[in-house]
Amino acid sequence: MARKLRRLLAGSTVNERYGNRLEVITDGPHAVSALVILKSSGFEHLSNITCVDWIDEHRMDVTYNLWSYTHRLHAVVKAQAHRDALEVPTTGEIWPQAQVYEREIHEMFGVEFTGNPDLSPLFLHNWRDMPPLRKDFDTEEYSRRAYGVVDGVEEAGV
Amino acid sequence: MLKVSREEILDGKFERVLNFFRSRSLWMLYYCTGCGAVELPPTMTSRFDIERFGIGPMATPRQADILLVTGYVSVKTLKRIVRSYEQMPEPKWVVGFGSCPVNGGIYWKSYATINQLDRYIPVDLSLSGCMPRPQAVIDGFVNLMEMIRKGEAVGYKKYRLNYEWYKQNQAEVLERTEPVLRPGIASVGKVQETKKKISVMEGVK
Repeated sequence: MARKLRRLLAGSTVNERYGNRLEVITDGPHAVSALVILKSSGFEHLSNITCVDWIDEHRMDVTYNLWSYTHRLHAVVKAQAHRDALEVPTTGEIWPQAQVYEREIHEMFGVEFTGNPDLSPLFLHNWRDMPPLRKDFDTEEYSRRAYGVVDGVEEAGV
Repeated sequence: MLKVSREEILDGKFERVLNFFRSRSLWMLYYCTGCGAVELPPTMTSRFDIERFGIGPMATPRQADILLVTGYVSVKTLKRIVRSYEQMPEPKWVVGFGSCPVNGGIYWKSYATINQLDRYIPVDLSLSGCMPRPQAVIDGFVNLMEMIRKGEAVGYKKYRLNYEWYKQNQAEVLERTEPVLRPGIASVGKVQETKKKISVMEGVK
């Protein structure tokens, strides 16, 4: 399967992992074409979409977890986006359930999904700061300023 | 002739009699935030049987006396807690479970959870434990009954007297208009300000 995918996905890297797992590394703009190819070659099910912030490498990986019922294979597609240009095309046309995941990732990481019709806030209440799951967001300092500090917490050395 | 105003009668003897009966019949509204909700079913059911103290569960805030905040409070939850609390008729009391409503607990670094519930609604009693076992819950309730009987549980009066202060604190969190993490604001100043306000409130009783 990996050999077949390597032939189909010329621009991306395909690695075999742990026997029943495939890792496909692609860059942001080509994520959708790679996902279309994967879906047509048997990976029908999109389990979820997450995002990983690699701050030292200055990029974010939008990670798609796919499952193939026909091949019994799990594919992890990592769409790498540069942190200065966080734009990944939407996968809402391939899998409708991607819409909510993309909305969440847009809220938590600030990734722009081009073509997604609704990227309005989903979970956070009246959020005004930078997306909170980015690595350069200081959650401790935020908590301190937004909600105040109670005596004794500092001394406890948490 | 000694003149006694209507208020004095209401606040004095009559109130003391009422408090005795209030302490013997408490309906609790449990706001199941966080993990403490798990401790309530064993507390209410046959093993620990909290109904022998006259405490029972109630379905709606409009008929409840105690509001139980059972764990960490996120900003979204806070909005609903304030709403439920304001719907409850007076006299009403608030019990905070575990360390999270006191100082944020293990979630105090989180961007989503508030650190001190007492700044937003008055908490009458905090239970120790993470989470409190049913024994601790019962112990806390017995304490609360004692406090109500003696007229020491005055959270709702505090809320009425310091309504602006509480509303301001709530608005600060719920109706934020500007980003929190802007460079140039000292985080210490705000803490000191909070402490000052809390020390002002100590004299309410």
